[in-house]
Amino acid sequence: MVTRSIKKKGIVSLFLMVLTVMVLGCSSEKSGNKGAASDGSTAKIGVVSYLTGAGAAYGESIRQGLELASDEVNAKGKVKLELIFEDSKGEKNEAINAVNKLIHKDNVLSLIGPTLSGEMFAVGPIVNQEGVPIMGTSLTVEGITEIGDYVFRNSLPDSAAIPQSVKKAKEKFNLKKVAIMYSDNNDLAVSGFKIFEKTLKEIGVEVIAVETFADKNTDFSAQLTKIATLNPDAIMVAGLYQEAALILKKAREIGITVPVVGNNGFNSPQLIKSAGNAADGAIVASPWFPGKDDAKVKSFIAAYKAKYKKEPDQFAAQAYDALQIMAIAIEKTGSVTDRQKLRDTLATVKDYSGVTGKFAFDEKRNPSMDVTVLVVKDGQFTELK
Amino acid sequence: MEFLLNPYYMQLITFIIINAILGISIYLTLSTGQLSLGNAGFMSVGAYTSALLTLKAGVPLYAAVPLGGAAACLLAAIIGIPTTRLRGIYLAIATLGFGEVVRVIILNLKITNGALGLSSIPSMGVMLSKGIAAFGLAGGIGGISVRQLGSIAVILILALILGFLIFFALRLSSSRLGRAFAAIKADEHAAEVSGIDTRYYKLLAFFMGAFVAGIAGGLAAHITFYIGPKDFAYHRAVEILLFAVLGGSDVVWGPILGAVLLTVLPEVLRFATEYREMIYGAILVLMMAFRPQGLISESTLALWRTKLTRQPKIAGQDKVTRRTTP
Repeated sequence: MVTRSIKKKGIVSLFLMVLTVMVLGCSSEKSGNKGAASDGSTAKIGVVSYLTGAGAAYGESIRQGLELASDEVNAKGKVKLELIFEDSKGEKNEAINAVNKLIHKDNVLSLIGPTLSGEMFAVGPIVNQEGVPIMGTSLTVEGITEIGDYVFRNSLPDSAAIPQSVKKAKEKFNLKKVAIMYSDNNDLAVSGFKIFEKTLKEIGVEVIAVETFADKNTDFSAQLTKIATLNPDAIMVAGLYQEAALILKKAREIGITVPVVGNNGFNSPQLIKSAGNAADGAIVASPWFPGKDDAKVKSFIAAYKAKYKKEPDQFAAQAYDALQIMAIAIEKTGSVTDRQKLRDTLATVKDYSGVTGKFAFDEKRNPSMDVTVLVVKDGQFTELK
Repeated sequence: MEFLLNPYYMQLITFIIINAILGISIYLTLSTGQLSLGNAGFMSVGAYTSALLTLKAGVPLYAAVPLGGAAACLLAAIIGIPTTRLRGIYLAIATLGFGEVVRVIILNLKITNGALGLSSIPSMGVMLSKGIAAFGLAGGIGGISVRQLGSIAVILILALILGFLIFFALRLSSSRLGRAFAAIKADEHAAEVSGIDTRYYKLLAFFMGAFVAGIAGGLAAHITFYIGPKDFAYHRAVEILLFAVLGGSDVVWGPILGAVLLTVLPEVLRFATEYREMIYGAILVLMMAFRPQGLISESTLALWRTKLTRQPKIAGQDKVTRRTTP
């Protein structure tokens, strides 16, 4: 009897605990909803981002870029924006729940995010069905905007960036034969590899070796030793900056001095930070170039540094521009509830000039923008001329 | 009513049901005392088979999903015959390895599109709402849109499948087969000595678990438009195991309750933003501290039964003894 009553108490206390949590959850939702609904002139924008987990660094940059943009837009006062952030943990089911919550509970006007392409493939069809404009700020793989008419992105797809860097590198270093390395368990890198392969074929550069690695690998000596014996004119690498930095380090260590052309993963100050001197000679094409002699870029970097005490990366810059573009479109429509109108206006955005340069959406809602091919020189991204 | 028709909650309900089906799959293997961590692997086989069949071969959904289950079952035969001879932690490690192998194979096959995953998988909801529209209800009924009707139909179908599986699991536990399972779980040697072909029954339970996981995978693929190898990584295997650990693995209601709680909790905790993961973790630790055997066990059920029927404990005890004697 005694043990049973103890057990009973345990169960009762547990259920109570679960109940309190649920009640807490419900009550806070309600109050949040009320606050937003009472103000009819604020445009609510939902953000789905990778805020906790292995890729949280990306999500954090995106969040900061968006917050900075939102502060500036609100300070101007033409449109009032309210950002509602939801974490996706980089998982598709979480992302689906997050957009559903944002659309159907918070009743947002439009969405920004998610961070990963896989998440967008799961979320895009749902959002498109609901007729809510969604803009990806960090998606570079093929087939994103093909999901539907409501899906936009302001991040340059790999298919536009990689060929430029490869061609520039060929021109500059007279490439004849190259080796490719890519991470085969990362969607971004696989997509990048395919574009590398295609471009090289088109411009007549021979691929003498293709080596794979995996995300979170730390030892690349086997692949690089093999590549070193083949003596390529350059190495193309598709991966994230963590692995890219280690590859650069190892390559320089075993005496490979040829240029290394990277995909979008190379486009991070972290690459230089962790690879140090070895990063010299790394090439990447990017619309975001922190060293650009441009007033907008300079004021963005200054404002970002003042607020977050660190250098902005491309994710922050692209997120910043995304919200600015969204704000311009909202201002034009003059409505904070009309999703259809916002979509149509967004699709016509042209001549916006932001921190990532001149910007316009092409007919497939992909960005058409100028790309700068960058090379790391003395620990700095500089333009490859 | 409006509350329930909100697509957000309807989506959540579909996830709950899928996870509950996965909970049943781990319950089935656990009911013979086998700790298998291969369910995420079987789920991925079911998901990919079903998605590829519909995408590439144009097989209708209702045939593709069971075929996904069958493919998982087939693979269970290959992996199960050697590994079900293993016990306890050894089986867990072998099946965990199996799950990772499946994932790596998917990553490297051309047909599965490697790390990029499969996108624009035919969705059950879209298909059903089209069917409903063709039925002459394109405008919806009583203020409920066609899309909502589609989602309701998806939930109903999933609930039917879940209901059938629960019924099956409940009937199983009081059948000859279920008794054999329980005997093996209680003491494998004793069961063997009393003439139960333990290898056969263990393999059978393994197959059933794999089949159900494969079905769940197929259903999940057709609910979310997209599957990628990341969805079926190690964390998925652990999540499925958590359903059983948290809910309890004695009775089928345990993993189901675990699945419901673990799907709802992250959503309920969304208000906590940055603290969400922390609170989630803390709740799990607290639950484990209070109820290491899981939330629902045989005795909990018996306790509630006596409470509800308001009869003295004799009735409850009677049930307990009847159930645990193989």
